[in-house]
Amino acid sequence: MNDFNFSLLCGETGPLTTASRPDRLRLSLDGMTPILAVGDQVLGGTKVAMGNGPDKGDLHAPLAGIITELAPYSMLIEVGNGGKADPHSPCAEGGERLRLWLKSMGVDVAALYKAPTLIVNGVPPEPGISVFDPLLRDYRKTLDMGLEAVQKVVEPAKIFLVAAKGNQANAFANCTVVHVNPTYPNGLDPLVYKTVLKQEVLPGSRPDSATLLSVKDLYAIGRVMETGRPLTETVMTIGGQNQLVRVGTPVGFLATEAGAKVQPGDRAVLGGPLRGLTAVNLEQGVDKDTYGLTLMRRDASLETTDNFCLGCGTCERHCPARIMPGMISRCAEFKHFERAEAYHIHSCMECGLCGYWCTARRPLLQYIRLAKYELALLAGAHEPPSPTAEDIKEQTGDTPC
Amino acid sequence: MLKPLNPILTVAVPPHVHCGRSIRRYMVDTLIALMPAALMAVVIFGVEGLRVMALSCAVAVTAEFLLNRIMKREQSVDDYSALVTGLLFAFLLPASSPWWLVAVGSVTAIAMGKMIFGGLGGSPLCPALVGWAACRISWGSYMDTNATMLSSHLAAPLQQLKYFGPDSIGSIHFSDLLLGNQLGGLGAVHVAALLVGAAYLLLRGHIKWEVPAGFITGLLLTAWVYQIMAPTAYAPPLFHLLAGGAVFGAFFLATDPSSSPIGRVPAVIFGLMAGAMVIVIRVYGMYPDGVPFAILLANLFTPLLDRIRPKPFGGTYSFLNGTEGAQ
Repeated sequence: MNDFNFSLLCGETGPLTTASRPDRLRLSLDGMTPILAVGDQVLGGTKVAMGNGPDKGDLHAPLAGIITELAPYSMLIEVGNGGKADPHSPCAEGGERLRLWLKSMGVDVAALYKAPTLIVNGVPPEPGISVFDPLLRDYRKTLDMGLEAVQKVVEPAKIFLVAAKGNQANAFANCTVVHVNPTYPNGLDPLVYKTVLKQEVLPGSRPDSATLLSVKDLYAIGRVMETGRPLTETVMTIGGQNQLVRVGTPVGFLATEAGAKVQPGDRAVLGGPLRGLTAVNLEQGVDKDTYGLTLMRRDASLETTDNFCLGCGTCERHCPARIMPGMISRCAEFKHFERAEAYHIHSCMECGLCGYWCTARRPLLQYIRLAKYELALLAGAHEPPSPTAEDIKEQTGDTPC
Repeated sequence: MLKPLNPILTVAVPPHVHCGRSIRRYMVDTLIALMPAALMAVVIFGVEGLRVMALSCAVAVTAEFLLNRIMKREQSVDDYSALVTGLLFAFLLPASSPWWLVAVGSVTAIAMGKMIFGGLGGSPLCPALVGWAACRISWGSYMDTNATMLSSHLAAPLQQLKYFGPDSIGSIHFSDLLLGNQLGGLGAVHVAALLVGAAYLLLRGHIKWEVPAGFITGLLLTAWVYQIMAPTAYAPPLFHLLAGGAVFGAFFLATDPSSSPIGRVPAVIFGLMAGAMVIVIRVYGMYPDGVPFAILLANLFTPLLDRIRPKPFGGTYSFLNGTEGAQ
């Protein structure tokens, strides 16, 4: 456990390979409204669910097959024979029309809004995740197409590419490259904003003056523009290899393909070891925003305790947001959520370093997330509304542009 | 749907990796750091010293065990924190302490210093010092190292300074003080041995350097100011640092995690306050050695000092009153 290091250097990464075709796909329906039912036949690229709210992209079947199960949070597709749906012609317009078209093609469009500065984040989000490296090296054309489409919506005056010093990153046209130290957590969005804008943006809020997309987002948009097919893939680092994985591919399938044997008690982490979420079982499918699969052995991973906070201040020393995670966790522990706000909980960028260093092994990040969630509920937050029946009807057929 | 299936995976919250620190490791390292001084105590004070330390540790661990039972809390003696508190308390006692004094003090340290506030991490004051203060105030004559160890040939530098003035300490060599050839708390006076232990703790990253640095700076500066005012009336700064429990306090008592401030700047100020207070008490107070009371006083300022915070990332923000901090 002690040899973990925070370097964001990718080193030599091999080419991007395509993961094998699984027999079944389990699509996450979190924040989605399904528009097809059990028993429906789908082609590769058929829309199966619509994203709730104005930002969440719609969901499409990555492969042809039959929907065999529809649970509140997931949809199971038994992969069968069948081709792909016809590609759409890419939207030639810009602005809001293009944004809506991209959303209907499965792209999350929260970051697509008009802003004078466009930042492309090419810093690996976590140690051991190198998905940006092969994309920046081998898929320039796709990235350029993505950037072109993004520019039509954002209409930026300046474009910045932020990269970790030591990792390969060539600039796009009219783009300034900014280097940061290759150390976690420098790849997190709030710190990238700070590097470029020289101004701190409250984590989770969106600044008026800039917007930020990752290289992976650009690639996703570029693929949609290039092929006219909806987004049904994600790029993931699995055991040091970067793979193009169909959304919904079960975790267990990927682990087996990578030659790993999962033992009882292990963790299959979707993402990296500092911020990733653990899969409930090996059947869980990967999501569009999943950038890695990390298998953590039982004895090598952190087991949190309910020890009381010692007040040693180690978390405070390592916190990039200059807050006191220990004090916030005490507030959350005793349900004093308003007090957590007085300790500036909203400055937390959820890097997980506090939990990494905690002597008492408290689940500090989880306490912070709990308090944030409760505070949002207190302030009247709710899930974005599902699309109305009319919207669904309008969108089920071909996507208008 | 999202049910655990075989093989059953662990579902846990991030981060999934850890630096390897644990409370037990921290306590064991503290015990290791205290070992050189404990050895010196046995060498200099003999079996008497060993008796006090063993009794204090045993009573502290038993007290924590019983209190956990009474309070219906999860047993926590296996984290060795009671052992550390017991040993720290013993280090402050004279080797001649009667058994009941050691026992009462040790129980007080655990019960009133720690458990009453909810166990490890909750104490607003350094637990060992709470036990010491209770004994010092209740049975002052038994706690007086000079009066209870008249048979010893060792010098009692701070008592001499207090009662006979700075001229009387002229014959005491700094090297003697450094090696622990002085009367005082049985572990607190072995300056060189304590420094070795402190270096180990600093190296292992268990104590923050800000507190001892502030403490020693505050102590030296204040002593130096007094000496400038009247060189013949006050002892030199280095004497104050080496005599009594100043080094012990700086590295082992003031750095107690729960009773010292969290932030960097607050920790330095905390150290400075405690260090300055030591000299003030030694000069004006009725107690020859002001270290324990100085640290207890500084402990009281900890919550206040922790209000000194840098601006949080992105500015302050609140959902509830809608104040946007992000510009």
